[in-house]
Amino acid sequence: MNGTRGTSQAGTAGDGLDPQQAATLLEQTKLQARRQLEPSPPWLLVMRAALVLAACGSAWLSVRGQHPYTGPTFAAILVVVPLLVVNFAVTVAVAKRATTGVHGRSRLRPAEIIVMTVAWVAVFVVMGVLASAGLNDAIVYGWYPVTVPLIVAGLAWAGVMGTRAHWRAVGTALAVAVVGAAGLFAGPVGAWAVAGIGLCATLLVSAAAIAWLQHA
Amino acid sequence: MTNDALDPLIHVPTRLRIVATLAALDDGDTLSFTRLQDMIGLTPGNLIIHLRKLEDADYVCSEKTGNGAASKTTVALTSRGHAALDAYTRALRDLLGGL
Repeated sequence: MNGTRGTSQAGTAGDGLDPQQAATLLEQTKLQARRQLEPSPPWLLVMRAALVLAACGSAWLSVRGQHPYTGPTFAAILVVVPLLVVNFAVTVAVAKRATTGVHGRSRLRPAEIIVMTVAWVAVFVVMGVLASAGLNDAIVYGWYPVTVPLIVAGLAWAGVMGTRAHWRAVGTALAVAVVGAAGLFAGPVGAWAVAGIGLCATLLVSAAAIAWLQHA
Repeated sequence: MTNDALDPLIHVPTRLRIVATLAALDDGDTLSFTRLQDMIGLTPGNLIIHLRKLEDADYVCSEKTGNGAASKTTVALTSRGHAALDAYTRALRDLLGGL
């Protein structure tokens, strides 16, 4: 027996590959593949954490001294909307690149897409109904938009991911719902700060978890 | 322990990279031939040769859908392939005294 029997049997490409080289190649390939196939890479989550902090921070700064509360100012909305658009565009582009050529269970099923769409649409339809009903601005443009969507979407996503036994995603989704629930106790002004800090922290923890798992 | 403990079918750089790449997929997922080719950086002919060897050993399964230019081939690691990679990784650890 000698150390090259296996490689020579396998073909010419394996000749000269010692165990140390094989171990290095295996680790490098696994890490590279996980990075290329990850639709939410850590750098993207860190970027989203910064964007959400900037967006909610701008809204919070604009409503901080309002008496009575009227909601984020037009100037704050001019800051928030481009940040949301950048976040959405980069997220879609990265996810599309990562999932190109990937088929099977990890792709969202139509029923799951419907659940999430209904959850998102419903919260904003209710918000429109509350606004048209003449409810206080502090609720319609303060508490509601930074608490209820987080709670509803977070719980819906946790449910979807729970059916897939994707426990890391369930944890992240529940954390989002908890941030929304915490905002309910912070008042219409404080809710923006709670959402910004809470979502930022959730995204950073999620980024750290994914980076750790990629190296595991 | 010697290199004989290493599965000769996997202990080839190109096939090791193919198997490790497919192992990074989530359970129940498959990868298109073109994406795998892009990730590994092989010519189609070269990739086909290595995939055929892995398929013959039941380490990899492939499925072709459609006809002609619209046809798509997807590949995935089988449970036997996963087990073989796990065994190969354990053998490497034993050889190196901890990976």
